Amino acid sequence: MSDNPGLLLATLATSLLVAPIIFLLPERAWLARTSLNLGAALLKLGLVALMVWGVARGDSYAFGFTVVEGVSFELRADPLGIMFAGLSSLLWLFTTLYAIGYLEGSDNRKRFFGFFSLCVASTLGIALAGNLFTFLLFYELLTLSTYPLVVHRGTPKALAAGATYLRYTVSGGVLLLIAVVALHVLAGEVSFGQREILAELGPEQHPWLIGIFVLLMLGLGVKAALVPLHGWLPQAMVAPAPVSALLHAVAVVKAGAFGIVRVVYDVYGIALSYELGLLTGLAIIASFTILYGSLRALAQVDIKRRLAFSTVSQVSYIMLGISLFGPMGTVAGLAHLLHQGLMKVTLFFCAGNYAEELGIHRIDELDGVGRRMPGTSLAFTFGALGMIGIPPLVGFLSKWYLGMGAIQAGMPWVIAVLVASSLLNAAYFLPILYRLWFKPGPLEGSGEWPHERRLGRLETSAWLLWPALGTAAFSLLAGIFAGLPLSPLSWASLIATQEYLP
Amino acid sequence: MSLAHLLLLSVAWPLCVAALVAGILAWRHGHALVEQRSSGRYVVPPGIAGDWPYRWRVALWVSAPLPALAVALALPESMLTMEWWLLGGDWRLDGTRRALLGFTALLWALAGGYAHGYLSGKARRARHGDPDAERDLQAFVLLWPLTLAGNLMLILAEDIASFYTGFAIMTFAAYGLVVNAGTREAYRGGRAYLIMAILGEGMILAGLLWAAASAETLTLTGLREGLAVSAQATIMATLLWLGFGVKAGVIGLHVWLPLAHPVAPTPASAVLSGAMIKAGLLGWWQTLPLGLTALAGLGTTIISLGLIAAFAAALYGVTQRHPKAVLAYSSVSQMGMMTALIGVGLLAPSLWPMLLPALVLFAVHHGLNKGALFLGVGITEHPPRMPGWLLWLLLALPALSLAGALASGLSAKWMLKAGLYDAGWNGLVLLLTLAAVGTSLLMARTLWCQAHAWQKARRQGVAAAPLSMTLAWASGALLAAAVPWWLMLPEAPVGAVQPSDLPPWGELAGLMWPALLGAVVTAALVVASHLEPRLHTRLSHAERLPPGDLWPLYVVATHSLMERVRRGVAQLGNAQEAVQGAAASWARQAMVGLTALQRWEAVLRRWAVALMVVSGGVLWLTLMR
Repeated sequence: MSDNPGLLLATLATSLLVAPIIFLLPERAWLARTSLNLGAALLKLGLVALMVWGVARGDSYAFGFTVVEGVSFELRADPLGIMFAGLSSLLWLFTTLYAIGYLEGSDNRKRFFGFFSLCVASTLGIALAGNLFTFLLFYELLTLSTYPLVVHRGTPKALAAGATYLRYTVSGGVLLLIAVVALHVLAGEVSFGQREILAELGPEQHPWLIGIFVLLMLGLGVKAALVPLHGWLPQAMVAPAPVSALLHAVAVVKAGAFGIVRVVYDVYGIALSYELGLLTGLAIIASFTILYGSLRALAQVDIKRRLAFSTVSQVSYIMLGISLFGPMGTVAGLAHLLHQGLMKVTLFFCAGNYAEELGIHRIDELDGVGRRMPGTSLAFTFGALGMIGIPPLVGFLSKWYLGMGAIQAGMPWVIAVLVASSLLNAAYFLPILYRLWFKPGPLEGSGEWPHERRLGRLETSAWLLWPALGTAAFSLLAGIFAGLPLSPLSWASLIATQEYLP
Repeated sequence: MSLAHLLLLSVAWPLCVAALVAGILAWRHGHALVEQRSSGRYVVPPGIAGDWPYRWRVALWVSAPLPALAVALALPESMLTMEWWLLGGDWRLDGTRRALLGFTALLWALAGGYAHGYLSGKARRARHGDPDAERDLQAFVLLWPLTLAGNLMLILAEDIASFYTGFAIMTFAAYGLVVNAGTREAYRGGRAYLIMAILGEGMILAGLLWAAASAETLTLTGLREGLAVSAQATIMATLLWLGFGVKAGVIGLHVWLPLAHPVAPTPASAVLSGAMIKAGLLGWWQTLPLGLTALAGLGTTIISLGLIAAFAAALYGVTQRHPKAVLAYSSVSQMGMMTALIGVGLLAPSLWPMLLPALVLFAVHHGLNKGALFLGVGITEHPPRMPGWLLWLLLALPALSLAGALASGLSAKWMLKAGLYDAGWNGLVLLLTLAAVGTSLLMARTLWCQAHAWQKARRQGVAAAPLSMTLAWASGALLAAAVPWWLMLPEAPVGAVQPSDLPPWGELAGLMWPALLGAVVTAALVVASHLEPRLHTRLSHAERLPPGDLWPLYVVATHSLMERVRRGVAQLGNAQEAVQGAAASWARQAMVGLTALQRWEAVLRRWAVALMVVSGGVLWLTLMR
């Protein structure tokens, strides 16, 4: 059961052990905390990169022990998990850098970074979980460790948002727990990848399987923000920008999406899901979510709220990709898991920069910001164009494969959804870009910035600027060099091949 | 490295120029921000580049399309495969692409040189610290090579992803060129341009995805071949035709052209109307199953719409007052003719081998001449120091050529006419010839408007156009007229008329009469309106028709539709928030209930003994009974 457990546990430990140390350090120990955070993030990225290399070579990493008879704790690094782990550790590094700059001089940084590390540790646990039980453990840990981050500011609005967040996620967790227990009763322990166990159950069990699938989707759909379970997400954007970035790009929302990927591919198996007719339902819900999220985003005036609804819409691309039966759809869903993370984290960094440097929260205050903050605005432009699906940014690749997958699965109507959503994306992102670059602003002598602070030598503090530019560059390069091995797209193709050609 | 890598260079060079400009701007901007920190004042950094000589900077910037031009003129047929690029790059240089690449690069080079002169006034103001001029200049200098790179990439691309990438880069970067003047009209035109372009992109994306996935291919050739055998070919082809039709100015989708072209800086209008509009045509070429299968229904529709555009745009265009608007309508009209020919290709695949070279010649001829005409608009607004007869000769040359009476226009027309006659399409030839009458009217109208502008400029003593502007325009007019003889165009099948063939003397009358008729009608109108004042008032009433004809209608329709959608979505959102609120209040009430229970518990605690005694008593009584 256990081979090469060292690397696996070390990776998990980098963030799991950092959390208590950070809690122990005094609030004033800025240097120690910062170096610990960055060191851990870099170390983890290195370890994950090692595992990526190993997995690509065909090594396996696993660790497990039995908790009680029939229930075991299992960690494993398979291509799918390692992909998510890679995303989370890469973006964690950027977000940590960003958060250090963002929280400069504010209170409760110890609490923030402690829970931040816990949150990342649980994301990593979710990525490396080898069965539903382990997944559930880390999934709930994620819920609890994110709450303090969401309410970090402590304002009544933040507390209310936190309460909504808990109400949604805890109820989702309960449903998930019931579903996992029911599955356990029905089929015993199912490790991820043992698709044959459920496939071999007789047809008389199929109604049960369908019921459990629906429960699982309800439980996971809360975090993945499937409409109508998405209500918490737009409210949770009161959190500080790095938290929103993490929440939307890699931690919470992606945990839900990743859970759905696991259930469809590694528990039920794509063939069984297709046979039971579960994929069509998922495709319809995902399509509805995509369009609904985009339409709602169109009506928002707050930058972060618009981005939040955009997340609702974009994350459903992943679900849509999964629900298209065929390798192309799988590639689309998995690649978008990474692509959306890169683009959305960029957008939230930029929104945070505007708020920190100039006090801008609303879209109509963005006039002429492109001249005042060109680097940030360039990053935002890349993120937004990527979301619309303009090549050579990564968003285009996701759309391309989704379209291919739709035809392969015999659902040409999905293309209409894709095009409609692209048009809506353009309708809510391009006006922002127009304001950024083409409207005259305070530098041209019209109006004033709401609350300008000079945080750095250049347009803003370097801690805030470089992470945004870095992730933007990643989302451009991952598109241009999509054909290279180890690009997100190539990695997703690798997984899809394994899924369909066992 | 092989020779084929020159294809990569021809696209990469303008991109490098754009990156260089962006880097320099960022550097200077950074300095300005740092200085703002100490002085408290933000001064837009003057000048585009660092301290090296101005001439070198301009030369570098103008050189952006030159590698592409050299490739088109000198490189043998070649192909380049790039595994690492997007979904796998595959770029080619073949007959059609060479012709398009050559004329596009030349037009961009000429317009770039022209822009140097055109913007020299702005550059001077910018150097003297005018922030608005500086801003416009920066945007223009940055976006020009970027748009160019997109345009070149889409011509060379054989894989669908590169093609779409080039198309998108060109479309979006060109927005900045359209709105460069920063006026209200510019933004209105830019808005129309962008909205229509995005709708087009959407349809293109749908068509490309659907067709490419059905054919399981990544190349444009594969896409065409797949489309030819597909059962849903008509729907896919319609999507692609409409999508590219936005760029090509298909009637109904053409509204952005007359709005965007007049407001853009003149060199940008020239490349918009000469080169970029051809991207739509190239899109049809590359994606529709021309010469492979017949799509009768779609073909007929395309022919009819193309002819309607050819006539209606000519009629509407002659009412316009701004020469650039007249020229934009002329583009719609000319593209209508090309559209009709594409329709013929869809209807009768066997004709395609003859049609393709004729269409390439037509496209190249129209692109260069239209470019020269647009460049001429700026020349009449700032008349250079040259004899009047020479000026008007050079202005009239592309106009006459476009009307089909001279040089490249004559050979394009001859090639088409001969081919279509041989195939028995006499009716179409007649209609196209009649449309050419419309073209000559439009050309007369353009020259008329230009004459007005010229007179006004001379009265006001406007500064003469700089040398670079005059040179670029004059060489553009000459090279455009001579295009069949210097550019390597795809050859027609053996026995048919070749692009460089001049018509025999006997045919000249048949080819020239539309231009002559147009000239006669114009002259008659001019004379009549001088003699009869009422006719003159009538005509000036017609001049009030706004450019952009159908656009206001579209705006109103979209607004009412969007309003309804927005209301519906808002209701859904409210419903969801109501449910959430209800759940929250239910939870609060439950809490209230639970708190009430606590009070009950307190009551119970106080009366516990008494209660126990009473219940004991009751129990005892019941048991005793």
